[in-house]
Order: sequence, then structure tokens, then C-alpha cells
Amino acid sequence: MKKILAGVLAALLLAGCGGSGGGKADGDLTADKIELRFTWWGSDARHQRTQQVIDLWQKAHPNITVKGEFKEWNGYWDSLATTVAANDAPDVIQMDELYLASYAERGALLDLGTAGKNLAITDFDAKALATGAIDGKQYGLPTGVTTYSIVANTDLLAKYNVTLPDDASWTWDDFKRVGDQISKASGGEVTGVQSWGFDIGGVNIWARQNGASLYSPDGKVAIPADVLAKYWQYLLDLSKQGIAPAASVSVERAGAGLDQSGTATNKSALATWWNSQLTSLAKASGQNLKLLKIPGEGTATGAYYKPSMFWSISSRSKHQAEAAAFVNFLANSQEAADVLLTDRGIPANTKIRAALTGKLQGTDKAAAEFLDSVKVGEAPRVTPNGASDVEAILKRHTEEVLFERQTPQQAAEAFIKELQAGIDAA
Amino acid sequence: MSAIGELQRLNTSTGGPPRKRDTKAALLFLLPWFAGLLLITAGPVAASFVLGFTDYNLIQPPEFNGLENIQRMLTDERLHHSLGVTFTYVFVSVPLQLAAALGLAMLLDRGMRGLAFYRSAFYLPSLLGSSVAIAVLWRQIFGAEGLINQALGYVGIEGTGWISDPDTALSTLIVLNVWTFGAPMVIFLAGLRQIPVMYYEAASIDGAGRWTQFRRITVPLLSPIIFFNLVLQIIHAFQSFTQAFVVSGGTGGPSDSTMFYTLYLYQRGFHSFDMGYASALAWLLLLIIAAFTAVNFWAAKRWVFYDD
Repeated sequence: MKKILAGVLAALLLAGCGGSGGGKADGDLTADKIELRFTWWGSDARHQRTQQVIDLWQKAHPNITVKGEFKEWNGYWDSLATTVAANDAPDVIQMDELYLASYAERGALLDLGTAGKNLAITDFDAKALATGAIDGKQYGLPTGVTTYSIVANTDLLAKYNVTLPDDASWTWDDFKRVGDQISKASGGEVTGVQSWGFDIGGVNIWARQNGASLYSPDGKVAIPADVLAKYWQYLLDLSKQGIAPAASVSVERAGAGLDQSGTATNKSALATWWNSQLTSLAKASGQNLKLLKIPGEGTATGAYYKPSMFWSISSRSKHQAEAAAFVNFLANSQEAADVLLTDRGIPANTKIRAALTGKLQGTDKAAAEFLDSVKVGEAPRVTPNGASDVEAILKRHTEEVLFERQTPQQAAEAFIKELQAGIDAA
Repeated sequence: MSAIGELQRLNTSTGGPPRKRDTKAALLFLLPWFAGLLLITAGPVAASFVLGFTDYNLIQPPEFNGLENIQRMLTDERLHHSLGVTFTYVFVSVPLQLAAALGLAMLLDRGMRGLAFYRSAFYLPSLLGSSVAIAVLWRQIFGAEGLINQALGYVGIEGTGWISDPDTALSTLIVLNVWTFGAPMVIFLAGLRQIPVMYYEAASIDGAGRWTQFRRITVPLLSPIIFFNLVLQIIHAFQSFTQAFVVSGGTGGPSDSTMFYTLYLYQRGFHSFDMGYASALAWLLLLIIAAFTAVNFWAAKRWVFYDD
């Protein structure tokens, strides 16, 4: 309580002396000793790679220290909101599609187009760039693109002697059937499928395969309740039939992050993930993992390229030019790309991507090849301002369904109503 | 600067009545605390009152919106739900906690070897109970593969994921709060020591059993202490935040079953960028706590017995 109140006061006091921040984004880099704060979320594998890149930058720019602040996804957004409110935001921010509009439309992010010579965006794919722009201003530079996939543990499949159908044409019924085979063959040791319904990717795919979309182009909730209800019915069936873990286990794992997931701990053979997460998952799992296409894509295309995340700069940064130069290093230098590889998606920078493809190995190579093999439609509309907590709302309703406190139909109607109310209030 | 001047004047001053000098010195010593009160507590409290009548998204300047936040409270179903969760938590965990505290205090009061050790050992959870580390530990103990379920597994019972099941999640937090009975226990123990032994001796000569002695002597003479503990623990329980936040990973889940009022307030403010409404909610909590404390004091007239 006290901390919340103190934060509010700090915000009020500082709001007066905020303003546009010092130093122009396209100015010359300072020769003074300064410190940039750089924040990201992610798994252990990402932290290590990112720190290596920071060390590389440090060698070339000894006077511009970069201090990394990394967190796990859930804590990340609480912390970012608090620091932005206190006018103490990190200079360089890893941003997600869910929050881009919420921060940008409230003036918290710098238009990267103003960074001029310090930040080149010419090598970026135009479609990818557009995902980070709102009203013609470039608030986020996409790090890469990623697509929804099934991650299959081939060691577990071999162990239980289960063969999968061709993923180019498999259906959701096939998926359920093989999941059941694995669960039964393992005698409860592992589950065939890891429950999902806690991230928005799954809903987007489901809606699009059914000819709908989560949001309309003008930013209203557009998914029909019965489409959403069928989605939850499917997840409920998996859980009740033992194809996915019991509800309480699924909820616990979903809250614990990637390293504790059923895939990472080899307790589920099949799971939905963004393809760029393959390397982190494989590192945690230690077993052989393979990317497969989402079921149902043979008849209707739901897949799309999601901008995996963005580089953004705080509009109140005191070192905008240096922050832009650092983002330039992250996004355009081959040196950095050789370390980061595909961890933040297959690079949206076309030059980097071309140079990288030959060098990739193992899971990074598999992730890149998978991306090229998927047939995708247009990317969905950016999450509207006021809907940034859509995943929290989704998660809560998935829980209501899995614990059978609401029917899928009730949950679908409640979800739509609550999400729309948030958008209306923003 | 003025403080140093004040000190110098105090040192060199020869005139003036000594009482006045003492007052000045007292004020001087109070200054750091008073500055803290104004800047860290009173200032933000006042600011939040003003913000309670605004639409404030944390990033842009607040805009006044009159009584809109208060109207919203009336129809906000999740707010009503969070009030239900909080009331359940307060009214179940506080009586259990006080009963445990009183029971153990009476046990320890009978005099035993190593009393100081037991007193400290039982007090320890109170110091740790609202810490993040303990909440994390709780998540491990009550997890689907945690200690509790491993223990249950030995006797052939398959437990649920206590913290991730909406039917049991709140109870784990209640158990956590009851476990921190040490602070009221120490106060009870001090109170029990104040009750003259002769009352019990006289009662037992008159043939009163243990239960009668407890009801007729211990409870009335201890009632001011019980009252004190009750008021304090109710206020404390209403403000609980850390436990629910850490145990549920900040969500108040599963399906809002651990959505404490303070957690909902936090989510509105920091997740939904709705700080104006969150500030209004903070004031509603203050009013609720004030109301409960007032009722407590009113009811106290009927059952609290002051010896002197």
C-alpha cells in the first residue's frame, strides 16, 4: 500500500520536470561517460546471449555503459509500467505487440524515425516495419518475425512408439487422437499435449481458421462467441480426457514460465509455441524437439507472421542519440546478429537474415527453415490501446473453463464483454 | 541549516525556563520522523485523494472526471468479487490466528524449560510471514509436486495443485496467515503474565475447573489485550498484498480466487493503466478499514473489561 502511494506521489512530482528528455535522437554521440539502461524479458538462454552482445558493444564504446535489466515476462510489465510512471523508464525497451499501442498512444515511446543517422531502418522488410508503426510513426523496430507452431518431443514419441500424421494436412481431431495415444502409452508418466489457452496466439489462429479475427480493423473485438466457445470446449476435452494434464497442473505450469513448462521438463510430448522459442526450449529440455505446423492449416490458413518483439526507446530518455545508436547496433550489426541468432525471431532485417541463414545450426536453423515452410496470411491488427491485458483476461477465462466454473459459451461471452470494455475505457 | 542553528542555540542558551528548551529539543528529535511522515505517507495519501477523482493513465497528466470512479465501483463485478475474497480471508484467518496465538501463549505461560527458545521459535514466522521468500516457499510446498503432495503420496492420496486450484488456493493463504501467529502470541503472553496467580488459586479452592477459570478469569482480564490484537490483525489482514501477489504470480488467480482487494487495486493501477480508479479504490479500502475499526471499538464497550 505505502509503496503504491509513494509511487503515485513520485509520479506527480516528477511529471512536472519530465518533458521531452535531453539530447536529440539524431544528435552526435557524447564523449562523456554515460550509462544506458536496457530492459528485456526472456529465458536464461536469452539473458546469456544478450549479455554477450552488450559486452561486444562495450568494447567499441567504452564510455557508454549499458546496464541490462532482465526479467521474466509476468514481472516485466509491472515493472515497466511503474518505472514509466515514475519517469524512470529504461532508455532501451524490448516491447511487445500487446503493449505497443498502449505505450505509444500515451506518448511514452520515441518515434524512431527521428533518430536519423543514428538508426538505419532501410534494410528492414516494409511489411515487418509496418507492424511497429502507428499513425505513420515508427514506435518499435521489429527484431524479427515468428509464427505459431507445434513443438514435438521426438524422443518421447519414439519412446512410446507413436507416429504422427503429416503435419501439412493434420486436423485438430488427429492432434487429439495422437495426444491420447501418447498419454495412454506412457501410463500417465507424460501427457500427449500441453494445455494452452494462456497466450493470444492460439486464439488468433483458431479465429482465423474459422474465418474470423480477434479484432476488427478499427480495433473492436470481433471474434464471434460461438467460435471462441468451441476453442475452449476443445481445451476442456483435452484436459478431461487426460490428453492434457489436469487443470491445476496446467495452470501451475503456465504461471511458471518457459523453463518450467511441460515441454521444457519433458512432461508433455506436443505443445503450442512460437517457433523462435525452439532453441530456449531445447536447451531446457535436453531432448530432441521438432517444429510442426499447427493442425487444421491444410484446409484454412490461420498462421501469420507475428512481429516477435520490438526495440523501442523511451521518449523521456536523457540519452536518445546513444540509445538509438545502441538499437542500431542490435538491429543492424552482423556482429550482434551472430550472437543473437534467432532468439528474438528470424531477423526482420533482410540483409542480416540473408547473411545469417547459412550460418545457423541446430535448432536455430530448424526455426528459420520452419518459418519459410509455413504458408501465412496477413498479420492480425495490432492489439488496440486498452487491450494490453488481453492475455490476463484470456488466462482467467481459460481457468474458469478448465475448472468447469463456467461453460465455454458463458466464458466466451464474458471474455468478449470485458475485453471490449477495456478498449472503450482507454 | 536551521536545525544546526537550533542546536547551537540550545548549547549556548543559558536563559529561559528549562521546560521550553526541552520542548524544542523534543521537536528537533521528532523532525526526521515528521519529515518522513509528511513526504512518504501524508503527501502520497493526499495526492491519491485528489487522483481518486481523476482519469489518470500514469503516462499522461490526470484529468478530473468528478464522481465517475465512484459510480464505476457500484457496477464493477470484479471489485465486488475481490471484496468477497478479502472478507473471507479476514474473517476466517484472523479468528483462527488469534485462537492459535492464545492457545500457545497459555501453553507457554504454564512455565516450561527453554521458554525463551520456544517463544522466539514461534515468533519467527511473524517476522518472515509477509516476506517474498516465504511466499515463494509456499508456492513450492503447496505446488502440484510440492512437499504436501509428496507427503500425501506416501499414504496413497493424490493431492491437487493446491495453489493452482481455485477451490483451495485461498485456503493456502489463510494457512499462511494463521502460521504467523507469533506477534499476537507474544503480546498475549505478556498479558497473561499480568494476571495475578491468586485469582486462579481462589477459583480452584472454590472448585472451578480449567474451563471455568479460562472463561471467568482469563478472558475478562485478558480482554483488553484480545481487543488490541483483534483490531491490529484485522487491519493487517485487510492490507495483505505480498502473499497473494507472489503466490498467484501477480494475477490473483486461478480464476480470481486469490484476488485480494489490494491486488485488484494494484492491477487496475499498474496493469490496466487506470491509476485514477485505483486511487479511488485505495480510499474505499481506507473507509472500509475505518468502519470495521469503529465497529470494533463500539462493540468493545460490551465485552472489554478494564481492571483499573
